[in-house]
Amino acid sequence: MNIKQLMKHNETYILLIILIFSAALTMINPVFLTLENMFDLLRSSSGTAILAIGVFLVLLSGGIDVSCTAIAIAGQYISVNVLIATGIDSIALAFLISILIGVSLGAINAVFISIFKLPTLITTLGTSSLYHGLLLEVVGTKAVNAGDLPESIKAFGKIEILTLTRADGSSYGLSIFFLILVILLLLTWFILKFTMVGRGVYAIGGNAEAAKRTGYNSHKIQFFIYCYAGFLAGVMGVMHISMIRYGNPNYLVGTELSVIAAVVLGGARISGGTGTLTGTMLGVILITILEKNLILMGLSSYWQQFFIGVVIILGVSITYAQNKFQARRNLSIGGA
Amino acid sequence: MSEVFLEAKHISKSFVGVKALDDVDLTIGRGEIHCLIGENGSGKSTLIKIIGGVHKADSGTITVEGKQLSGSQAIESIRSGVQIIYQDLSLFPNLTVAENISVNQMLESNQQTVQWKEVRETARKALEEIGEAHISLDERVENLSMAKKQIIAISRALTQNAKLIIMDEATSAITKEEVDHLFSIIQNLKKKGIATLFVSHKLSEVFEISENITIIRDGKKVGVYPTSELDHDRLVYIMTGRKLEAEPYVYDTKMKQKSPLLEVKSFSKELQYQDISFSLQPGEILGITGLIGSGRTEIVQSIFGLNPADSGTMYMNGEEVKISNPRDAIRHGIALLPEDRLNQGLFDAQSIGDNIVITILKNFLKKIGLLDTTKQKRSANDWIERLKIKTPDGNLPVNSLSGGNQQRVVLAKWLAINPKVFILDGPTIGIDIGSKHTIHDIIRDLAREGMGIIMISDEIQEVLDNCNRILLMSKGRIIKEIDDARTTTSEELYEIVTGAASAGVEA
Ligand SMILES: Nc1ncnc2c1ncn2[C@@H]1O[C@H](COP(=O)(O)OP(=O)(O)OP(=O)(O)O)[C@@H](O)[C@H]1O
Ligand SMILES: [Mg+2]
Repeated sequence: MNIKQLMKHNETYILLIILIFSAALTMINPVFLTLENMFDLLRSSSGTAILAIGVFLVLLSGGIDVSCTAIAIAGQYISVNVLIATGIDSIALAFLISILIGVSLGAINAVFISIFKLPTLITTLGTSSLYHGLLLEVVGTKAVNAGDLPESIKAFGKIEILTLTRADGSSYGLSIFFLILVILLLLTWFILKFTMVGRGVYAIGGNAEAAKRTGYNSHKIQFFIYCYAGFLAGVMGVMHISMIRYGNPNYLVGTELSVIAAVVLGGARISGGTGTLTGTMLGVILITILEKNLILMGLSSYWQQFFIGVVIILGVSITYAQNKFQARRNLSIGGA
Repeated sequence: MSEVFLEAKHISKSFVGVKALDDVDLTIGRGEIHCLIGENGSGKSTLIKIIGGVHKADSGTITVEGKQLSGSQAIESIRSGVQIIYQDLSLFPNLTVAENISVNQMLESNQQTVQWKEVRETARKALEEIGEAHISLDERVENLSMAKKQIIAISRALTQNAKLIIMDEATSAITKEEVDHLFSIIQNLKKKGIATLFVSHKLSEVFEISENITIIRDGKKVGVYPTSELDHDRLVYIMTGRKLEAEPYVYDTKMKQKSPLLEVKSFSKELQYQDISFSLQPGEILGITGLIGSGRTEIVQSIFGLNPADSGTMYMNGEEVKISNPRDAIRHGIALLPEDRLNQGLFDAQSIGDNIVITILKNFLKKIGLLDTTKQKRSANDWIERLKIKTPDGNLPVNSLSGGNQQRVVLAKWLAINPKVFILDGPTIGIDIGSKHTIHDIIRDLAREGMGIIMISDEIQEVLDNCNRILLMSKGRIIKEIDDARTTTSEELYEIVTGAASAGVEA
């Protein structure tokens, strides 16, 4: 690939921005560019990245999903409470329950979207509030302290797939979260690229009516998308609690905008049909760096919110402008 | 007729406020080449969508090889051997040429995974078969011209071992050469027992290819005739209930100004066209014709600022003007009706009326800055009437219109700005023969009122009937200028154009 081709890709630009930003941060604070900090960054952004994969899929199909965080917290909170109530201290069970909840709630989204043909934004806004409300009302609002948290969950968050030793003998390492993310990324990439359901996601995002006419089963594809997004949210829910070792049913909800911002920043078109997983991951990295370091730089979390807004608007405008520019170029060679 | 392949019986279908089909029958024999003819909005596409399982008929049955379709699933009709090229092409703009062509094959074989090698191979073969192997398999379809998009849609239908291929105006944007090639493919398919249902408003094509013609008018079947029993005039009469005759356009030389309305001097653009000079007087209808790649579309895009020329100057009323984008052009009173307008320039979900007046909204502003909606409605309704746009209500969304009627909305939108120079690139693509006359009459009226018109068309007859002066282009150059269209014939022009194209003149 030569430079000219590279410059056509959205990813190149985000990567450049990340590099410039990182260089600046390293100059202010040399600790930024250490392996330890990188590992830490990967660990803390894996959750957002996994949610972003789901949102990316939904965006690709021409929809939008704001319920992913509500699903994640529902999966997390219910599974942890089941573990505590039954006394079964098993991380596998936690994942299983959380994933089942995620898939079921995703399926409910799909029913509204695919069968009742409701707009995706309205649906997920509605179900998000519905899921969260039910969770607080039925399961409760009590926070789960580290002391009450099942051991297996706490232990899981500490697993490292690569451990390095510092000069003083203490150690740091690469979290298992990164491995989970990589596996989910590979799985999603494979589905999108090599299965008919995956191609169907692109197809309904590009031209839903044509997808129907060529014989894609739109219902099936939409159920897949929302159930898969629910599955990812379920995985993320358990990861999240094992990372922060504290459970609060009011966590996560409200951060979906950052996830969407990351995906949009990664070049996925809001109107559906285009975008890449690579772009999405770069978007997540950029958003995470922004969020973490704005606080380090002494800006309040309100400013952080403000910047997320700016990023979404900028991201959408840039993709929009690019498309327009390209459309114009194509027009001028229209006869060719 | 030989063995029956497909039979549609007593099909009726209503949309809100419109009875699109009323008890229509259609029978297609194995290997038969059948045409379906009717004016814009007569129900052709609706019938095709019902056959394809896209719409469900209110009543009636579709039987394929004796088996009745349930009528609500596209894949069922595809599996029974019916391939459809829809009027809007139904391509995926975000996907590559290869995937767009192979998608039917992928879906029909019911495989769960994608073999990319196979996908490319299928696409490559399909393009080769249709003689367009040069189209890049990896290009995204949204980056292709209208003509290429049609080629892709046709190729896609050919990848399947279909037994019936339905083409809903699949030839509206492609050139004569490509149509000829397509027809030889259709004849070959026929030998293999594959039938074709062909829809086109170009009656010459219909006569060339079909064996039988089903004519519908206002959603009702008028009759089915062997093509050999019809001639052009009779077909038009049955279809429209009117007799249509074309008279050449005569330019009133009294309208001539000292300096022309528009003058183009030595326009050149690398790889597109060379040394183009011509002028246009008020009241003139100047025709430009030539094969694809002749540079005709590129040159008018340059005049309109979409595709700025490398060198050359342009004058309006004797004064030099610089136009580097469409806004400049519109400010100088130049409008362009683009060639590719199937998907262009309409706000799908908005009303027909709003779409028409959107470019001239400022004309309806009252002093306090509010829109005078009564005036706006009246103006929209005027255009709906003038262009005979077929709709029960101008407030309906524009995507409820038939293909040809959507085109009229685009035309109305540009006419509404009342330009000084109006460039029409294929003004009657996809418009039925009766309405063509209406539109031609409107164009002539505009010219008589002093507008300068440039008309580009594939159909030499259309140029000949409506233009007083004609430029013939080939390979980026003007090869001949005909000052008085009345002095020539379409055969003569066709010979010049094709002759020049085959004689390797370098652009
Ligand atoms: N989705 C829809 N909603 C409402 N009305 C519709 C819809 N689709 C078609 N119609 C109406 O049905 C009638 C038949 O339309 P159809 O598209 O079948 O015409 P057509 O013969 O294909 O015309 P054309 O030559 O312009 O393509 C028209 O009056 C059209 O406005
Ligand atoms: Mg039609």
